[in-house]
Amino acid sequence: MQDLMVSTLVEATHEVFNTMVARELSEEAPIVGDALRPKSNVVGTVGFTGSEKGLVAFYSTLDAANEIAAAMLGMEAHEVNGEMPDAIGEVTNMIAGSFRTKMAAHGDPWAISVPTVTVGSDFYTKYVFQAERVLLPFHMKDSPLYVELILMKT
Amino acid sequence: MRFLVVDDSSTMRRIIINTLNKLGHQEILEASNGREGMERLNASDVDMVITDWNMPEMSGIEFIRALRTVDKVKNLPVLMVTTNAAKDDIVEALRAGVNNYIVKPFTPDTFKEKIEAAIPK
Repeated sequence: MQDLMVSTLVEATHEVFNTMVARELSEEAPIVGDALRPKSNVVGTVGFTGSEKGLVAFYSTLDAANEIAAAMLGMEAHEVNGEMPDAIGEVTNMIAGSFRTKMAAHGDPWAISVPTVTVGSDFYTKYVFQAERVLLPFHMKDSPLYVELILMKT
Repeated sequence: MRFLVVDDSSTMRRIIINTLNKLGHQEILEASNGREGMERLNASDVDMVITDWNMPEMSGIEFIRALRTVDKVKNLPVLMVTTNAAKDDIVEALRAGVNNYIVKPFTPDTFKEKIEAAIPK
């Protein structure tokens, strides 16, 4: 099940970036566990619950987040002024939503939460529940981006 | 045509408005949830509603059910733009009164096609 979820999440991420951000992403092999802690200033998360429970998290640098927001809104990155957190929330929402829709072909659809976005530095997200984590590294040109699947152990 | 775009995400409203502008539509009103959407509909004449599903205060589904009870706007074409695209979601939206469904992420071509299909002949 986890392999299917990972490949589906990769597919959903490419789809969102190709369609709504007009950026091609390259990908690297998934990293299981929490050995790699992404150095990111912007983290979007969306929770899901149903037959599986957990979170989809999206990690980006500040510069890449501004580039994503600009591309989505049809402006230049230097013109982005306060729109970035909402844009990253929407990217995370679309990745998680597309993931949920594709996974619904294999069972009942999950419920998903509204997105939350954290902007800051030198922080790491820990979860109070026992979790399996799979980190999916991507690159948008030279900018590293990460999507993480965090599954609650039942 | 005058559109009402209802979405709690300012980014998504901007993307939808940019897409409508590219398709030649310039008259666009905005609201950030269903309750505001009802206020705009009561105060203005609108030809088509484009709404999100998951919103605070009044969701897209609640908004559509509410507008279908108001004589002035009950026959307006309504498009839902959402990531909720499982079969059960679509059935629920159609039962609430949605005329057509746009799944995020979407292309401008899809948007155009869905708008044209929802325009009363």
